[in-house]
Amino acid sequence: MSALIVTLLSLSGITTLLAVLLVLADRIINNYGEVEVNINEGKKKLKVKGGSPLLFILAENKIFVPSACGGRGSCGMCKVKVLSDVGPILPTEEPYLSPDEKKEGVRLSCQVKAKKDISIELPEWLFAVSKFKAVVERITELTYDIRELRLRLLDPLSIEFKAGQYVQLIIPPYDQVKESVMRAYSISSPPSQKDAIELIIRKVPGGIATTYIFEHMKEGEEIEFVGPFGEFYLRPTSARVIAIAGGSGMAPIKSIIMDMYEKGIEREIYFFFGARSKADLFYLDFYDELQKKYPYLHFIPALSDPKPEDEWEGEVGLVTDVAEKYLKSLPPSDQEGYLCGSPGMINACVKLLTRYGISEDRIYYDKFA
Amino acid sequence: MKQTPDYDRVQERMKPGVITHFGFLGSDDRKLIDIILDDEITVRKLGLTHKKIADRLQYFYDKAEHAPGSWVVVDDSFSVFVDDTRGYLPCPFEHPGLFPKVNVTVVNRKTDEKITYSVLSIHLIREHGFYQGKGSPFRLEPRDIKRILEL
Amino acid sequence: MGVPINPFVLMFAAVFTSNMVLSNFLGMCSFISVSKELKTANGLGLAVTFVMTITSVLNYIVYYYILVPLGLEYLIYIVFIIVIAAFVQLLEMIIDRISPALYINLGIFLPLITVNCAILGGALFLIIRNYSLIQSLTFGFGSGIGWWLAIVALAAIRQRLRENDIPVALRGSGITLIIIGIMALAFIGFSGVLRVQ
Repeated sequence: MSALIVTLLSLSGITTLLAVLLVLADRIINNYGEVEVNINEGKKKLKVKGGSPLLFILAENKIFVPSACGGRGSCGMCKVKVLSDVGPILPTEEPYLSPDEKKEGVRLSCQVKAKKDISIELPEWLFAVSKFKAVVERITELTYDIRELRLRLLDPLSIEFKAGQYVQLIIPPYDQVKESVMRAYSISSPPSQKDAIELIIRKVPGGIATTYIFEHMKEGEEIEFVGPFGEFYLRPTSARVIAIAGGSGMAPIKSIIMDMYEKGIEREIYFFFGARSKADLFYLDFYDELQKKYPYLHFIPALSDPKPEDEWEGEVGLVTDVAEKYLKSLPPSDQEGYLCGSPGMINACVKLLTRYGISEDRIYYDKFA
Repeated sequence: MKQTPDYDRVQERMKPGVITHFGFLGSDDRKLIDIILDDEITVRKLGLTHKKIADRLQYFYDKAEHAPGSWVVVDDSFSVFVDDTRGYLPCPFEHPGLFPKVNVTVVNRKTDEKITYSVLSIHLIREHGFYQGKGSPFRLEPRDIKRILEL
Repeated sequence: MGVPINPFVLMFAAVFTSNMVLSNFLGMCSFISVSKELKTANGLGLAVTFVMTITSVLNYIVYYYILVPLGLEYLIYIVFIIVIAAFVQLLEMIIDRISPALYINLGIFLPLITVNCAILGGALFLIIRNYSLIQSLTFGFGSGIGWWLAIVALAAIRQRLRENDIPVALRGSGITLIIIGIMALAFIGFSGVLRVQ
C-alpha cells in the first residue's frame, strides 16, 4: 500500500515540478515586453504586447489589412512592407512573395511576429478601413447564378467609400468549413447611400464563400464585413470613360455610374457589358431608365451566344469585339479604361484598349478581384 | 505507403473548406502519396507524361482564353468553353503564386464527350502529378483525358 | 559506481565506435525524414545534441537521487520520458524565440524529439552501463554529436544525389536506406577500437 502511495506521490511530484518549471520558462522566454509598431515613419505608433502576429496586432488596433484566410498563411493577401529587420523570410511566406517583393521587404503580416520594435509601411487608404456589422436586408436573384445582397449597417451605422471600392465579407464557419473566411466583393450601390451597401455576387462552382451565400444565407441574418478597400475608383479627369465588365463585374461600374449621375458629372461614359445569352443579363431596365435621365451614359450590352428565343436585337459577339467596333467609330478624344471582370477578360480588354491609344497607366481595374 | 509530414500538411490543405468548398480529395480516403502514385502508374501505362497532359490542357485554354463565356471551336473537332470568375486560388502544395478561378470545358465534337478542368488543375498535374481524389468534382481521369482530348 | 573509462574516451566512443544511429540504429525515423536539407538536418542535429546532453544529466540525477532512494527503479521509463518531454517543450520555446525559420522547418520533428529513441536509449544506456555523472555528461554529448554527424553527413550525401539519375523505384526512402547501410558499414570499421562498458 505504502509503495503505491510513494509511487504516486513521487510521480506526481516530479511531473508537477517540471510543469511549474515550464510555466516559469514560458513567462520568461515568451515575454517580449511592450513593443512599438511604427507605421509610415511615425504617422501612427502603436504600443502593443509583443509576440503575436502583425496582422492580429493591427486588427486589434482597428487597422484591417486585407486577408482572405484569416491569418492561416494560405491566401497571401495580407502583404505588408516591413522596414525594420524581423528575421529571414519564413518557409510559410516564401510561396506568396515575388522576387521584387522580397527585395522591397514585403512580408505576410500573418506570419511576421512583432517581437521587438518594428516599423512598417501601409497604404493610406487602409486607415479608413473598419469592421462593420450588418443585417442581410434583401437577397435578389438577378440571374440564375447572380445574386444581389443588400446589407443594412448596424454598427457603425454609416460607411464612407469611393464608388468602385470593395469590401470583404466574413463568411462564418458552416458545414465542413471549420474556420471563417473572407472574400472580396465590390460595392454596387452609390456612395451617397451611407446606411446600407449592395453587393453583386456570382456563384462560383465549389467556392467556399459563394456556396454559403447561395445555399445558407437568409434574409434577416447578421453578417460582418471589413472595408472599404481598393484603388479602383473614378479618376477626376474629363476623359471619356470606357467601361467594360462581365457578370458580377457589373457591381463597381454601376456604383461609379450612379455616383457620376448623382454628382452631375458631364463626361461621356460607354459601358460595355458582356454576357452569353439573355438569361445572363440583368439591370437592363435600370440602365434604360438611367440613360433617359443621364444622356452622357451609353449602356451597350453584348451577347456572345444569344438563343433564338431571346429575340435579341442588341449587339452580338464577344464584348471585346463589340467594344472595338465602337472604339473605331467614336470621335477621337482623351479616354480612360475602367475594367471589371475575370483575369482573362481583363487581359483581353487591356490589349484592346492599348491598341486604341489608352496607355496602361490609364486603364484601371482591381488587381485581385 | 507512409507519407512524410510535408504531404500530411498538403493533404490537410486539400480538405473541404480550406481552399475550396469541396476540397481536392473527394471521397478518396487514400493517402495523398498513394493517389499520386496510382495516377503516375496509369499515366505511364498510357504512354504519357504529366507534362504532355498538362501541355494539352494548357493548349485548349490558350486557344479560348480570349473569349471567356462563349464557345470556341478548336482544330475543327473540339469546342472549348472558358468560364472565369473573379478571384484566385493558391496551390495546396504551397507553390508560389495564385491561380485564377478559371474553368475550361472541352467537348470532343465527334464523341460528344466532355471534360472540365481549372487552371489550377493544369498546374497540379504539371508540377505535382496530382489529378485530385476520386469523387472530387474536378477529378481528372488520365484515361479520359487521353481519349477525349485525343492525345 | 562507474566503470573505469576516461569520460573523454567515452565521448569519442559515443561519436564514432558506438554511434547512436549507425551502430545502434536508434532514432531512425527523423534521421531519414529530416535529412533532405543540410540546413534543417544541421538544426535538428544540434537540437538533438542539446537535448541529449542535458537530459542525460537530468535523468542521471533523477534516477540516482530520486528513484533509487525511493526504490522506484521500475519507474525509469515513464519518468525519463516525462523529463525528456518537459525539456523538449523548453527547447521548443527557445528555438521559436531565437530562430522562427528553424522552428517552422523542424516542424513536427521538434516535438518528436521527445520520442526520438536515441535520446531515451542514451539515457537508459548510462544507467545500464553504470556511468558516473561526468561520464553520463560526456556520453550524452558524444551520442548527440554522433547523431548530428550522421544526419549532417546523410543530408549532404542526399543533397548531392538530388541531381543524379536514380532508378525510379529507389527514389526517396529506398536510396536513403541504402546510403545509411553503407554509412553504417563504414562505422563498423571503428567498432571494438574503444570500449564503452
